[in-house]
Amino acid sequence: MAGIGATLLIGLAPTAGVRLRGDDLRLDGDDLRVSVPTTFRFISGKPLEKLKDGATLEYLAQLSVSASSEVTAPLVRPAVNRFVVSYDVWEERFSVTSTVLERATASHLSATAAEGWCLDHLPLGIDGVPRDKPLWIKLEVRAEDARDQTGLFGPSSINLTRLIEVFSNPARTQQMHWEASAGPVRLEDLKRERRSSRSG
Amino acid sequence: MIRALIGLLISGASLWGGSQQPLLQPAEFNVNSRYTIEAVELPREVASGISRALREDLENLIGQKFNPAAMNEVARRIRDELNVRKVVPRLLRGSSPDQVKVVMDVAGKRVDLSVPQLLYESNEGLSAAVNGTLIAGDNRFTAGLISDGDELVERYTGIRTRYENRHLGSDGIRFRFEFDSYHEQWNRSTLNALGQSTEGADLYRTRQNFEPMITIQVAKPLTVSFGAGFQRFETEVPGERAQFANAAITNVQYLQQFEGGVFDQQVLQADYNLRIATKALDSDFAYTRHRWEVRYTIAQGRQSFSDEAVAGFIAGPAPLFERFQLGTSSMLRGWNKWELDPMGGSRMLYNSVEYRYAFFEAFYDAGAVWDPGQDMIVRHSLGVGVRKNSVLVATAFPIRGGRASPVFMVGMNY
Repeated sequence: MAGIGATLLIGLAPTAGVRLRGDDLRLDGDDLRVSVPTTFRFISGKPLEKLKDGATLEYLAQLSVSASSEVTAPLVRPAVNRFVVSYDVWEERFSVTSTVLERATASHLSATAAEGWCLDHLPLGIDGVPRDKPLWIKLEVRAEDARDQTGLFGPSSINLTRLIEVFSNPARTQQMHWEASAGPVRLEDLKRERRSSRSG
Repeated sequence: MIRALIGLLISGASLWGGSQQPLLQPAEFNVNSRYTIEAVELPREVASGISRALREDLENLIGQKFNPAAMNEVARRIRDELNVRKVVPRLLRGSSPDQVKVVMDVAGKRVDLSVPQLLYESNEGLSAAVNGTLIAGDNRFTAGLISDGDELVERYTGIRTRYENRHLGSDGIRFRFEFDSYHEQWNRSTLNALGQSTEGADLYRTRQNFEPMITIQVAKPLTVSFGAGFQRFETEVPGERAQFANAAITNVQYLQQFEGGVFDQQVLQADYNLRIATKALDSDFAYTRHRWEVRYTIAQGRQSFSDEAVAGFIAGPAPLFERFQLGTSSMLRGWNKWELDPMGGSRMLYNSVEYRYAFFEAFYDAGAVWDPGQDMIVRHSLGVGVRKNSVLVATAFPIRGGRASPVFMVGMNY
């Protein structure tokens, strides 16, 4: 654990890039999970205004790991998920539903808690990823564009494939998106936590 | 903003499939779908501008559970019907904890390029206009080109520019400043008539108009405008100084729409326009011009019937652009305006009845234009046409002693 912060370098994305700190990454069995960095607020600004107007917003999220900052090909299949968020105008709390990896819902959440819940439901399976090699980790969240939706509600395998395809293309000009990255980082340096469930 | 309350029940199924919101977004994903809609609020001008079917659909939403996809669909329909930039449904708390209300926010376009106006009338030739408007909040800047041989006794060609503020401290007060600059062309009949005239009117080759106006909405159906028009024109005589016709302007408009009852819709519109040109405004002309217009329309299904009555009166010598015309594409259609009165008249009476069924329309016009000392001769014309959206194709028959020779008109946005 010691020195993790020093080993994390900036992997800034072209827009809205955020540096992940060591405390933001953790191992949960064979999964890598990310906590919400304090500067990574995707339920804010215009999306937040829309939510408070009663809209339903959909976010696509991807967590990936690669062996180089230059090579974009991930070492393992990225974790992808789709979240549907809404805001209760009476209770002034958020509700989130995970629709791809597993159907789960949480409600009565603050904005920060809703963001944390989303990232908690984005476990990246790291079976076979070397623990002692430098890695680059990238988190990407996009407000869903209506043009990306075809096929997302089909069988889960198709959904995952389609979602990964979506992230293989850059975000559209008008599309709200947020990125955070870290690297080089070694898995063996990350803090561990024991959890009962793991990624599918 | 005053909002009209509207409601509606909609079968969610009928509204699914809109393009603004994801197609596959189940309503239950939105935590507010457990609340019942108690009201849907629209800006008053929006409520009066949308179709009856859409208004009914909105009314039917009341009492239903909130469905964001359904709301987005009706917002899309409002946007399409009003041709505005954006309509956003906003959800607010209702009067009790299980109820919500929806407020439709309407944002107009930032830039509005008008579809060109075109008119061909076999007596007058071609008239055309095009405008572009830049919209910044409550401010609108409009500029356009026009060549019109229909409205006045002369053909005027030039530019029109206008600045408008639609919220001068209040929604009910608007300010407008218009500047126009035209070059004039005259019909030979007018030139000939002018040589024999005792009216004192002169030809001019260019004309500029500066016109600041303030409009106040006194009550829902009643608006009053007042301001001034400063018209500067250069005569055809080289070297002669420019002349001015500066007038105080007042306009009163009453517009009332009724729905339901015996007919689907009834619209009553009445306008009174007064222009007083006076030496006190440094005008070379001193005259008073009155124009009254009343139009009543009833609509039932695909049919509509309307009657329009117009009267005009000028006291004192007025420049030619102020004088009244009949025999245009909209008044006493089919007649040649230069044949009726090549200089226009200072007195005018006119009535038109029009019947429409779907695309078809038929009309009967009658009117007279004259000057003091002349007989008032009432002329008549009949016509039929086809109107589809903004395009009109019509044939009008001026009736002269039982003889009717057709005149052809094609118009778009006229």
